Amino acid sequence: MRDAAEANMREDDRMTSLEALDPGHERPGYWDDYRSRIMDRVAFELARRRAAARESVAAVLSGWSRSLIPAAVAAAAIAAVLVGTEARRSSEPPPQLVMQDMLGESADDGAFEILLSADRTGNAGAFMALVEGSRP
Amino acid sequence: MKGRSDADLVIQARSGDGEAFGELVRRYQRAAYAVALSVTGKHADAEDASQESFLVALQRLDDCRNPAKFAGWLLAIVRNRSRNLIRRESLRGGEQIPISARTTDPDPARMADISALRGRLREALSELTELQREIVLLHDLEGWKHDEISERLGIPSGTIRSHLHFARKALRANLAEWRGHA
Repeated sequence: MRDAAEANMREDDRMTSLEALDPGHERPGYWDDYRSRIMDRVAFELARRRAAARESVAAVLSGWSRSLIPAAVAAAAIAAVLVGTEARRSSEPPPQLVMQDMLGESADDGAFEILLSADRTGNAGAFMALVEGSRP
Repeated sequence: MKGRSDADLVIQARSGDGEAFGELVRRYQRAAYAVALSVTGKHADAEDASQESFLVALQRLDDCRNPAKFAGWLLAIVRNRSRNLIRRESLRGGEQIPISARTTDPDPARMADISALRGRLREALSELTELQREIVLLHDLEGWKHDEISERLGIPSGTIRSHLHFARKALRANLAEWRGHA
């Protein structure tokens, strides 16, 4: 009984060939023509969308430029000021190196008194002895 | 383009990519035609409505909220355009599918048989509900699977099977009767 019912179901489920309803069945190339006609009709809309997409990219770039360009100009101005300041500093003469700076670490005050006394030639030996003697 | 998902193609078509939209047309032109035919019952109207639907779909592509479900969205447009078309237009009589001018089959007797069968199929289909026509055309003419129809039409798979079963049964009975008379 059940087998008979299933057999009837299968019989009912056999598909009827509907290919006669397919316009491409009798006309090869029908679907290519169909698509071409659609693409002709949508050409204007596609072009409009491409233009809109380009405009939106330009708008984004323009939006960025409105905030980025002033920031870049400000950064360039600050950089120019800093570079100018640095250039002025480097053009000043370097400070003179004095004997006291050179010897300050290793000679005591007595050595300078001897060196600066009137008889420089005569005291040179004593000065050197004091300098040498103060080093470890 | 052929390997791209519907969602990718929709996103590209939104930017005016003609190749992407052309691929969407290629994928769904037969289904769109089948749905339009299920509503209008006439080749010329189905052709007009389905082609116009692609244009409308492109114009409204930004409204397609889920690009992955483009097919179901498109077929809804086709259904609406087809219904609008049959509301607007008066019935056009006679054979709707042009055959003789471009056919590759030179046998007039065979062409007459096909034409008669086509007319009878349309009559048989007209006795089904619109949903049954749509399902049987998408399944048996376009080769869509139950699950594909279910997903794209938003109808449970069991309901699709049931409608398909009764539609086939009715078509077979109708055509058997016609052949019996012929």
